[in-house]
Amino acid sequence: MARTRHVLPGFRLSLGYTITYLSIIVLAPFAALAWKSSRGGVEIFTSTLTDKRVLASLELSFTTSFYAALVCGFFGVLTAWALERYSFPGRRILDAMVDLPFALPTAVAGIALCTLYAPNGWLGKILSPGGLKNLYVSWVETPNQWVVNLLEPIGFKAAYSSTGITIALIFIGFPFVVRTVQPIIQGLSLEVEEAAACLGANRWQTFWRVIFPTILPGTLAGMTLAFGRAVGEYGSVVFISGNMPFKTEIAPLLIVSRLEQYNYNGAAALGFILLVISFLILLFSNLLQSWNNKRTAR
Amino acid sequence: MSIKIDHISKDFGKTNVLKDISLQVETGELVALLGPSGSGKTTLLRIIAGLEFPNEGEGAITFHGSEVTFQSAYARKAGFVFQHYALFNHMTVADNIAFGLKVMPRRSRPSSTRQKQIVQELLEKIQLPEYGRRFPTQLSGGQRQRVALARALAVNPQVLLLDEPFGALDAKVRKELRRWLREFHDSIKLTTLFVTHDQDEAFELADRVVILGDGEIQQIGKPDELRDKPVNEFVADFIEVE
Amino acid sequence: MAGIAQLNLPSGEDATRARIIARNQLARRATSDPLWMKATVLILSLGFLFVFFVLPLALVFQEAFRKGWEAYLKVFEDRATTHSIWLTLKVALIAVPLNTVFGLAAAWCVAHFRFRGKQLLSVLIELPLWVSPVVAGLIYVLLFGRQGLLGPWLFEKDIKIIFALPGIVLSTVFVTFPFVARVVTPQLQALGRAEEEAALTLGANGWSTFWRVTVPKIKWSLIYGIILCNARAMGEFGAVSVVSGHIRNQTNTMPLHIEVLYNEYQFVPAFAVASLLALLALLTLVIKSATTWFADRALRNAAL
Repeated sequence: MARTRHVLPGFRLSLGYTITYLSIIVLAPFAALAWKSSRGGVEIFTSTLTDKRVLASLELSFTTSFYAALVCGFFGVLTAWALERYSFPGRRILDAMVDLPFALPTAVAGIALCTLYAPNGWLGKILSPGGLKNLYVSWVETPNQWVVNLLEPIGFKAAYSSTGITIALIFIGFPFVVRTVQPIIQGLSLEVEEAAACLGANRWQTFWRVIFPTILPGTLAGMTLAFGRAVGEYGSVVFISGNMPFKTEIAPLLIVSRLEQYNYNGAAALGFILLVISFLILLFSNLLQSWNNKRTAR
Repeated sequence: MSIKIDHISKDFGKTNVLKDISLQVETGELVALLGPSGSGKTTLLRIIAGLEFPNEGEGAITFHGSEVTFQSAYARKAGFVFQHYALFNHMTVADNIAFGLKVMPRRSRPSSTRQKQIVQELLEKIQLPEYGRRFPTQLSGGQRQRVALARALAVNPQVLLLDEPFGALDAKVRKELRRWLREFHDSIKLTTLFVTHDQDEAFELADRVVILGDGEIQQIGKPDELRDKPVNEFVADFIEVE
Repeated sequence: MAGIAQLNLPSGEDATRARIIARNQLARRATSDPLWMKATVLILSLGFLFVFFVLPLALVFQEAFRKGWEAYLKVFEDRATTHSIWLTLKVALIAVPLNTVFGLAAAWCVAHFRFRGKQLLSVLIELPLWVSPVVAGLIYVLLFGRQGLLGPWLFEKDIKIIFALPGIVLSTVFVTFPFVARVVTPQLQALGRAEEEAALTLGANGWSTFWRVTVPKIKWSLIYGIILCNARAMGEFGAVSVVSGHIRNQTNTMPLHIEVLYNEYQFVPAFAVASLLALLALLTLVIKSATTWFADRALRNAAL
């Protein structure tokens, strides 16, 4: 590339500063990670990847993140649609609320969610086995025995289980889907929907055949971001998860416990694996975004 | 199929966009709605298609004797062609054209082989027989507009409504497509109403021209009549200025 | 549905009434959703937001004030608590200006110039957002810790980074690294560079152009980036938890202090400290809405 003279000044200064700062804060530590994880040789990776506890934690992280991304995808699209297309009182406040997980410290979210879903918490009380029955009995003056029997077995353990982890990850991932889908819905051409209507498609058909395929790539990209964020999430999960090895121990937590046991090589290897995974997820999301841009290009 | 518009008015908030419009378009006729921007011509076309609704009270729109005033667009099924095509970018050209057939209720929906046949016939009619597998983004503006027309025709609409159909095209393509549309109309004889702000376009294409100004019909007539005998200053000015 | 196609309204006395009913029932715009769909979407999405966002926030304040105002205020007389608040403020006060300067420099070169490797640079700037906070802490432990790359050398010189303030600041800088840059860059790109070029032709030098033209132009998104960066800096948990060592009165920031209190079953103090951070989050959201509104308006005005 030929050297071009720039009209605006400060190119070298700003680029030089950016690269220096980036090298100190990001690149040097990553080099340390690569160095440390290579110190253990191939063996440390194979032993890490065959360790049952590691595999259990990775599987748990992936499955809970996957379910969380699915839930975020569903509610994220609904919320983005409501925020963009409907007018209702409090719409602006809700729009601002969506960013709460970006602004609320994860530790605060963690203890709040844990207390909420603990067996004696506001929601945990209702969700735990027999919770619905107790609610029914306390609300109705003369409880119907048949209903009591029906409600008795309903319920599940929310906090200190993989369900609890999923709940925390839904909270963390939600804004990623909404904020990716919202601009796409905003950019939808109303004329295209009108064209579908003039061709005899009812609203439901228009939604499934025209709107949904258009927002699908963006939704998937947002869900991938939510998934990527969820796999690495720590603060909001550790309180609600219960941290039982092999059962509710997520991968980032295992890194922490390896560090606490001074197993630096093992922590580095697992950290490196997590890093590669998040890099792949980011790449995949970018591919989805560019697929979306190509399709909606006019 | 004829269109009859009886005393239609339309307000957007406090602005009075259409004032007491009455108009009849005969079966097989090609009529132009001509007027400056803000004259309400697009609103009138959208009301005919069911994309907007007129004020409550008096006034009615009739398609060949049956009233459709408050029918939703999807029940009315007027063939509507948008200025910016409004094609479904995620579908192939063939799927775009077949869309109206695919969303029909099961009873009246043609079989998939029949659908393919209809699509192919239409592709040939718009002179794009080889383009079925392409995506709209791979076509030129003129080609896209013809696809939009074929898509509207696939469902056998009672009327065809074109909103500035050549507005987004460059001058040369405009002229070609204009001539092509006239021939095309002569071959299918579908009642057609189109909106334009370009009087050459209106006079060259239309059997009759309706001049709209300030939300009112200023004059209706054959192109020659309008040129020779403008009824008021507005029409005279408008034709002169262009 | 079948009736609609054959609609023929009665004429005569009932005509007007029938028309109004017909308009209300049938005349739905092609782009608006039927009422049942609107209701379903709104109930589901509002219900979701209530359960996942409103309830946890309400719970933080409810638990904090469970034993009344006095108990709440008493929490902040505890030395460990006040120390954690000061430490958090100190960390944010160092990390946020550092990242602001970086964000402005990065935005300036990414938005205004074309150069080889720009795409890679943008990806690297975004990277810290997608790295697990725990990994973000880990990499500093591996670089500066006793067993780390520079560990022996630092030990010799008696410089403490891990389990001390520098480590906390570094890991906070890492996780909040992209916020200012990724908010300011698109705004700077969208606003173009005509005004800067005009200022330069009028004889202004680079620095005064930057301070007098560019900064006022992007001030709203700059404020937005800074408050987002600040919220994350004060609230970071995972990365800081790995490097801090949890030493009470020394390296416990507010989020870490919350963890300690919560695990000791001191719920009122834990939620009282949490309520401060929750208030900060709410304030951040308010400022965010206001600044995006102003930034959008600036963009619209520029487009006119």
